[in-house]
Amino acid sequence: MDFTQSESDDIIAETIGRFAVDELRPRLREFEVARSVSKTVRDSYAALGFEALDLPEDAGGAGLGMISRVRINRLLAEADAGAALALDRFAPAVYVIEAFGGIAALKSFGAMLGRPDIRFALVMDDGAGASPGARVEGGAAWVPAMRADVLVGLGPQGAWVLQEGFSFEPVAGAALHAAGASRVRFAGTPILVWQDPASAARALAKVRLYYASLISGVLADAAGFSRMYALDRVAFGKPIAHHQALAFLIVDMHVAVERVGLLLEDAARAVDAGDDRAVGAAAAAFIDAVEVSRFVGPNGVQILGGHGFMRDFPVEKAMRDARALGLLAGGCDAAREDAGAALTATIPLGAAA
Amino acid sequence: MNGFSPALCAHVERIREWGRAEVRPAGLEADRSGAPLPADHPYFAKYMGFRRDNPAALDDDSVPEGPAVRMAVFNEENAYWDRGMGVATPGPGLPSRIVATSGTSDQRERFLGPFRCTDQPRWGSFALTEPGGGSDTAAFRTRATRTDRGYLLSGAKCFIGNAARAEWVLVQANLDPEKGRAGQRAFFVEHGNRGMTGIKIEKKMGLRAYESVSFILEDCEVPHENILGGERPAPTSRSGAYAETMGTLNTTRVGVAASAVGMARSAYDEALGFAKASGAIKAVRVRDRLEAMHRQLRAAWLMTLRAAWKADRKIPNIVDASMAKVFAAETAQELASAGMEIVGIEAGAGHHLVEKLFRDAKALNIVEGTGQIQRIIMGRSLVGLPR
Repeated sequence: MDFTQSESDDIIAETIGRFAVDELRPRLREFEVARSVSKTVRDSYAALGFEALDLPEDAGGAGLGMISRVRINRLLAEADAGAALALDRFAPAVYVIEAFGGIAALKSFGAMLGRPDIRFALVMDDGAGASPGARVEGGAAWVPAMRADVLVGLGPQGAWVLQEGFSFEPVAGAALHAAGASRVRFAGTPILVWQDPASAARALAKVRLYYASLISGVLADAAGFSRMYALDRVAFGKPIAHHQALAFLIVDMHVAVERVGLLLEDAARAVDAGDDRAVGAAAAAFIDAVEVSRFVGPNGVQILGGHGFMRDFPVEKAMRDARALGLLAGGCDAAREDAGAALTATIPLGAAA
Repeated sequence: MNGFSPALCAHVERIREWGRAEVRPAGLEADRSGAPLPADHPYFAKYMGFRRDNPAALDDDSVPEGPAVRMAVFNEENAYWDRGMGVATPGPGLPSRIVATSGTSDQRERFLGPFRCTDQPRWGSFALTEPGGGSDTAAFRTRATRTDRGYLLSGAKCFIGNAARAEWVLVQANLDPEKGRAGQRAFFVEHGNRGMTGIKIEKKMGLRAYESVSFILEDCEVPHENILGGERPAPTSRSGAYAETMGTLNTTRVGVAASAVGMARSAYDEALGFAKASGAIKAVRVRDRLEAMHRQLRAAWLMTLRAAWKADRKIPNIVDASMAKVFAAETAQELASAGMEIVGIEAGAGHHLVEKLFRDAKALNIVEGTGQIQRIIMGRSLVGLPR
């Protein structure tokens, strides 16, 4: 068991962390209003070379594993989870293509992958792969994006890829506004269709970790911001953080955020290692992130009291963003199904795990 | 066993075999009889044989993991089989580290030397807690007075593990109350000292396999050479023996967390086994509850391992250790309680292991700093909570 972060991860973390603090955080509300991240910021992110982190090196990407993605997402989401989604033009949709079709499937997109405006989007479709060769039809009430060039559908049995036959219609969106918000409708014949539950499970594990790591970053922000506020804000002659009721709440929020982070990295390592327990561990990490968000999100607001309810402070946004992220990847109940199913297999635990 | 060396796994496998064959049955025997196994119980002689054949894993140089990670892994496995029997295990116990680091060479030989022999079970003990001071270890009222013949100890101690059967009890007492914590020193009180009176083995809700002893020190005389570290000038630091004691507790906190994880795993396995055997696992609510238990257990284990891993690398881990302690202890309690619910009315009959675990686990959130104390420690680091 090794908790070390590699030297390259340290460098990436430092660069991404600085970008998140300098470029994303100060424009939090500006992105929300614009429902997008400005071109300047997108260009500056692209210049850092982190746009194609999840693509394999053979397909022109950085080929980093899930553990790196989890850490990067956390840093970006600590600044603004919506912006993190807006900046990512590939993941988590490319996880699906790679899980089913490997590098060959990714390469089939050819020069498209190199286009600076290419964007992939993912929708969950329970019927995906059920009838290979058939048209796909359906929709998703909310996708945190304004547009896409390639739409990927993922279900428990399989997946499909559409390059046409789908539309994005703007909706209000509950949160993550920097990424935009759309209702997606699709009706078309996929250019790629797969039926393979094992690949679907592998892809979904990565998708869950992708969103769970964003939740984890949002929660770290909610806990950290409210902690610093509680040190500044004075009531009854001392910082409110020094009243034991709040001190203990702050401590418990910190522990909860750490708990999610540990489960996430544990699952990401399992995914990267191709471990048998990866699917169950990723589902569990997703559930944990969602459950903890119900505790940390509202309490981040609570610590700020009335100020927390106002949009002057970012904690109300964190509460909404975390809640909304937990609805993606098929949601928490679907994850519970998969994590529960994994329990019926023999999974050694504790010291033996 | 993912992530651990083959050498460590081999030790764990031996502990597992021993635990299954001997520790679990002995723990159940003690629990059902409502009292610790007597010192001459065959289990202890057998244990000494096991120890002879399997030298202490913590001292095995072929294990690449650091001492804190090793301790965590061994504590977890030991507690899985029976935490109470783990505490009852012969040996110098908790004070061994304090004696090894703070004792004079003569004291190390005199008080730790006999434990190298495996001819018969021997115990050591550490007396810290007092009736009026549990978590507030700085508020000791036990006094030590220097005389021409040695030191006279007066006061009372309670909930002291293995104190009635121990070869010696290392008693914390204040030699100079005006100096506060700096006046605290530790004294070896040897077995049979007539000043150690009113010895009472407490009746407990759980963890019945080891003695929790309360006793009175009534002009309890010990020779000059029994003061830990020898007679030396008053420490210039503020805290004296208090700092030594706290240093030990900081280290063992991770060990307690690991024990709590072991108990939690035991409760989980009992619940899962019952749910599979009875078919209850087909019910979504039961399966979801087991999933939540499994997840919490894994998080507790990762927290514990990270705290140990940091300790081995000399990375500050005060928050990590307290976090692991409180989270793992609460996990053990919650999993045992949830486990009882899954086992259902069968658990109410009082003969199921999960019911024993429910009673046992509560102690883990009390010993070596309650959950509230751990939160105060974390609060000091996270928000500068005043002392």
